[in-house]
Amino acid sequence: MACKRCRTKPVIKLPNSNISLCKSCFLKYFESKARKTIRQYKLLKKGQHIGVAVSGGKDSLTTLYVLNKITKPQRTTKLTAIAIDEGIKGYRDETLEFAKKVCKELKIPLKITSYKKEFGKTLDQILKKNDIKPCTVCGVFRRYLLNKLAQKLKFDVLATGHNLDDEAQSILMNQFRNNISASARLGPITGIKSDKKFIRRIKPLYFLTEKEIMTYAYLKNLSTKYDECPYAKESYRDEMRTLINNFDKKYPSSKHSIINSFIEVMPMLKKNYKKSNIKYCKSCGEPTSQEECKTCKLIKQIK
Amino acid sequence: MKIKAIDERNEIEKQLNVSSIKEAAEKLNINLEEVIITKNNELVTEEAKLKNKDELKFLSVISGG
Repeated sequence: MACKRCRTKPVIKLPNSNISLCKSCFLKYFESKARKTIRQYKLLKKGQHIGVAVSGGKDSLTTLYVLNKITKPQRTTKLTAIAIDEGIKGYRDETLEFAKKVCKELKIPLKITSYKKEFGKTLDQILKKNDIKPCTVCGVFRRYLLNKLAQKLKFDVLATGHNLDDEAQSILMNQFRNNISASARLGPITGIKSDKKFIRRIKPLYFLTEKEIMTYAYLKNLSTKYDECPYAKESYRDEMRTLINNFDKKYPSSKHSIINSFIEVMPMLKKNYKKSNIKYCKSCGEPTSQEECKTCKLIKQIK
Repeated sequence: MKIKAIDERNEIEKQLNVSSIKEAAEKLNINLEEVIITKNNELVTEEAKLKNKDELKFLSVISGG
């Protein structure tokens, strides 16, 4: 099957359709889909200082690359990349080197902080001494440090590389765990309401699949072979990913249907949970939904 | 057709006798939702035609944690 638009050799058959596109038409399609998400959900305003959370993986570097392309003509918008070094030997050290290289090429400043610096231990060290699920501790610590660094650098918003697959997994994980209030925080803009200490996160690649992002990253040299965290195979998310992908193979478009139906109920969910107040952690003062934030609780728990 | 197929995620390399990319993916137990494919180092779709001695690489799209 040739490219639907120009009849040349295709590089991708788009998920959720029977359309194939060549390199040039795919790159245009991809960027226009990200632009549409930004416009439709009002993710950006001119003159903002936009932070981009990068890990060195394909999703975050593609987000950085696309945002740079979109905002470059607006000279008043500023981009800064931030990264968290969790301390995962043979993985994060490699992806961070790649992130540094891409940021240098794009002339975007990159600020890095680490678990070692902020908590005194690397993730590898924490997991060696504690019987704890890697993604639980990593997710909590990473979100905490990203928000702290985003405040320090005075970002207006923080962009992340979350994609359609990530979001479909999160929606079903929250359903399976009966945690609907967590779903109220999902969507192209995270959070339920604004708060001076919580920098809202935006997801420009929200409606693009992992496969589309990998294709873009491959064509733009934004992917490395170190893209998958060695701890990810132990996670609940990984099981959910396999479940959804196997389902999608048998019943195409299932993944897109999860997102489309969520988008319909999202305004109601956000409205319903808007009354819940943001509190500030009694130990560290960072925003939380409880008396003490998950990070402070974990720090007390780990050896 | 005899081709060389490489599953990069699982570091598997096999000589296969198959007539299509879909058949090669099935033999390697790969879900085409989770990979992009190169044929002789050029990005292709799962519908690309194969010929003898082609080299297929299945690159995982899964990342992060």
